[in-house]
Amino acid sequence: MTKLTPRMRNWLEGLGAHIGTATKKGFPTTIVVESAKVEGDNIVKFQLSEAQVAQVKQNISENPQVALGPGGLGSIRAAYQFKGVARLESTTLIVEVKEIYCTKPGPEAALRLDTLPYENIVKFESTRWRDTGPPK
Amino acid sequence: MKLTDEMKDALMIIGAGGAVVHLTTCSADGKPNTVGERFVAVWKDEYILIADMFAQKTRLNLMENPIGVITIAHPVKGRTWAFRGPTTMLQEGLPPDFEFHGAKAKDVLDEWGNWAEKEPPSEVPPDIRPPRLVQRGVMFMKVDEVYSYDASEAGKRIL
Repeated sequence: MTKLTPRMRNWLEGLGAHIGTATKKGFPTTIVVESAKVEGDNIVKFQLSEAQVAQVKQNISENPQVALGPGGLGSIRAAYQFKGVARLESTTLIVEVKEIYCTKPGPEAALRLDTLPYENIVKFESTRWRDTGPPK
Repeated sequence: MKLTDEMKDALMIIGAGGAVVHLTTCSADGKPNTVGERFVAVWKDEYILIADMFAQKTRLNLMENPIGVITIAHPVKGRTWAFRGPTTMLQEGLPPDFEFHGAKAKDVLDEWGNWAEKEPPSEVPPDIRPPRLVQRGVMFMKVDEVYSYDASEAGKRIL
């Protein structure tokens, strides 16, 4: 089962994410939400505006697959990508994260992290990054 | 469709850490991929390019479904724009006359095929700077559409 680390939670909750969605035929649409709430091991909730709901509602209903890239400074300092399935409950987008990737450019780009033992993910992070979340 | 000067300035920041964007691509059967990217530039007012430092899934996606969305991630400063359009990978080895939506691959690569030489990434903080900027080619978008990602008007067409 996929489990987000404290560092991943801190970046997602602090600066939100760019959320990639698509039609089932692969026409992409990205929305940006500036904060999130992580619940349990792998549930990420985003509060959307009415306009954002209107923009992705059809995509999510026909194709629940989504990709999350940390927002703001996290786009470069928190080089992760989270993939999972989403559903809309009113204006809340609820994402169940199923895959986690490292997106650092270079030899570790696309390294899958969620298949590692959890302790190894935490160790990997501690040797790659100095921070534990976005600056206060 | 030409990008505005403000959009070009936001995408192509020289020094001061540069611009960071997210590029979303998608497999042909609808699985999105959203990755933060540095080393962004604008070419001839209507194309956006990003250094390809051996992107993995992005490459596979573009080979089967050549379309992408670029969203400005940092610094935003109210520039909440999403650029969408046909997107491909350009790299050495393509036929000499290869064109993508009106752009000759050779012309693009002659100018941007060696990013480290053209724009050394010296301003990138050491803890996130790649040890060496090893580039395979460029990810290249012909912008067809610009929409707002501001929450209050998300999806509103700007260009």
